[in-house]
Amino acid sequence: MILRGPRSLQGRLVVRLAALFIAGMVAIAAFLVWRAYDTADSLAERELSLRAADLARYVVRGADGTVRLELPVPLQKAYEANPDQDIFALRSSDGRVIAAQPAAFGALIERWSAPSDDPAYFHLPGISGGTQDYYGLGLTVDSAAGPVAVWVARASGGFALIHSLLEEFIFDIAWVIPLFMLLCLAIAVLAIRNTLAPIRQVSEIAASIGPGTTSVRLPEDNLPREIAPLVTAVNRALGRLEQGFAVQRQFTANAAHELRTPLAIITGALETMPATTELARLKGDVDRMNRLVEQLLSVARLDAVALDVSANVDLAAIARETVANLAPWALGQGRTIAFSGPDGAVSVRGDGYAIADALRNLVENAVVHSPPNGEVTVSTSADGRLQVADQGPGVPEEDRAHIFERFWRGRRAPSHGAGLGLSIVAEIMKAHGGNVTVESGSGGGAVFTLGFPRAG
Amino acid sequence: MLHWGQEADCDGQTMRLLIVEDEARIAEILRSALGREGFALDAVGDCADARAALAANPYDAVILDLGLPDGDGLRLLREVRAQGNPLPVLVVTARDAVEHRVAGLDGGADDYLVKPFATSEVVARVKALLRRPGGALGTILRSGNVAFDTIGRDVRVGDEILILPRRETAILEHLMRRAGRVIPKALLEDKLYGIDDELGSNAIPVHIHHLRRKLGDHGATVEIHTVRGVGYLLVEGGA
Repeated sequence: MILRGPRSLQGRLVVRLAALFIAGMVAIAAFLVWRAYDTADSLAERELSLRAADLARYVVRGADGTVRLELPVPLQKAYEANPDQDIFALRSSDGRVIAAQPAAFGALIERWSAPSDDPAYFHLPGISGGTQDYYGLGLTVDSAAGPVAVWVARASGGFALIHSLLEEFIFDIAWVIPLFMLLCLAIAVLAIRNTLAPIRQVSEIAASIGPGTTSVRLPEDNLPREIAPLVTAVNRALGRLEQGFAVQRQFTANAAHELRTPLAIITGALETMPATTELARLKGDVDRMNRLVEQLLSVARLDAVALDVSANVDLAAIARETVANLAPWALGQGRTIAFSGPDGAVSVRGDGYAIADALRNLVENAVVHSPPNGEVTVSTSADGRLQVADQGPGVPEEDRAHIFERFWRGRRAPSHGAGLGLSIVAEIMKAHGGNVTVESGSGGGAVFTLGFPRAG
Repeated sequence: MLHWGQEADCDGQTMRLLIVEDEARIAEILRSALGREGFALDAVGDCADARAALAANPYDAVILDLGLPDGDGLRLLREVRAQGNPLPVLVVTARDAVEHRVAGLDGGADDYLVKPFATSEVVARVKALLRRPGGALGTILRSGNVAFDTIGRDVRVGDEILILPRRETAILEHLMRRAGRVIPKALLEDKLYGIDDELGSNAIPVHIHHLRRKLGDHGATVEIHTVRGVGYLLVEGGA
């Protein structure tokens, strides 16, 4: 089974650290509990040993030569107060039981072998039918009457004090451990976040890089040593890409530029020839070529430099001027252009030349798709819109999403252009924070709308 | 185009143009197109030759390419203007970036054309420059078979004199000075304001309507088109 962990570095570090912390926590807690029980056991053993020594101290040899246990009265009472709790038995070296409490214990140890000087531990699961468990030890101690074997034991419940101490430790102190671990984990997460912050920053900058912003480089300072080589390598790669882009753009611009002179020669030379139908066709072809070259130049320019769209421009004035510039050409094509708009200025923020370029592309497009004697209407409205309406066949619904893509040409479209004009329009509008849309006019035909954000 | 007569000033002297263009084929095409219009032409290929030609001959206008082998045409233009020479200059260039266009006009160019251009456009622009008040073509404007004497202020269609009211004459003059280009209606209104202070909003369309009918009645080979919402333009052809 393969478990997919989190994909982020931060997530992975947190998960692994949490696992480590939990393991550490369990180990530490287990160690502490073990130590506590160990210590408790030592304490219990020590107490039993002391009691054994204590009992041996009060073993005396009577005048008649018998060995007896003569406990002081308070001690005697203490033992008698809890006869089932603390039990003991003593046996002299000749195998006689000196004293035992209860007597059953004495009977029991009579059969046991004599312990050595070192304590021997035993577990007594009940005496004479009793259910009480005893833990105890036996050892041989020197007394006034020579060496005696002493067995002392305590009922298992008699360790209650020690157990309560342990419980106190676990419930009053040990619960702090998970909290402490959580705190450590939180600090670790914060530390990781802080450490990864420069990487996040780099990622955000990297996300902003596009064909129009190839000069952006990722910051290399303040990065961890492990990440820095990656960023440096990416920056170098970006440098090479930028160079490639620049070469490509320069090539497009140069190519378009260099094409202009021979085109000018052809255009001029054709005009000096006697008019024939073939010549008229050739002129049409050259016009198409001219338009393509102009559009390629526009594309190269748009790719190379960001438009400055900060100026206040008047859409109505731009529309009037563009219509005036294109009217003679449209008349030559047997179509007319008209303008309608408010008397006052329609103010938007933008680049006047670029907007005129976009409008020119739309008008040229509209004229080309208009029927003979058709009229193309350019209009502007006070809400920052510029519209171009024609009386052509319109744009089919299914094509509308594609017509603004570079080099896209409709199946039904006559082969006039290269499919660049509308993509230029879309790019210019994007640079203005606006958009271009197409729909059907009320009387058929296409209506292109340039929408601008209003000047603030 | 066949209707254009020999372009000459009032003394009957042929007008002389200087073409500064390093591309030999383009210079050749401009020479042949403008030569057919009756202009006398000199063509040079670089700044140094242009300076020499300008110093040696009085030209009526210059057609200037900007990218020349020995320097920038704009610098040459600034030198000419620095000498106080008001010579009309039409800049013709393969540069079209907006800043170049603005630099050209700021540098003292009177008009600006981007390659590739139709030679008929060059001819029209040169004539428009020469027709400016004070220009060498200041006296008689011609379009198709219509001739307009800007001094005598009479209009001929073919050989026939066409009598027009003052305001229609003024409108026709503006349209003919910039034949082939759209004259904004607002501009015409501004120009006529001095003549008729009581100008109504409908005055210009009414005048145009009359003018159009009269030109048509007399068989003029020019047409006045309305560009709705913008203005008017006069083109050859029709009738």
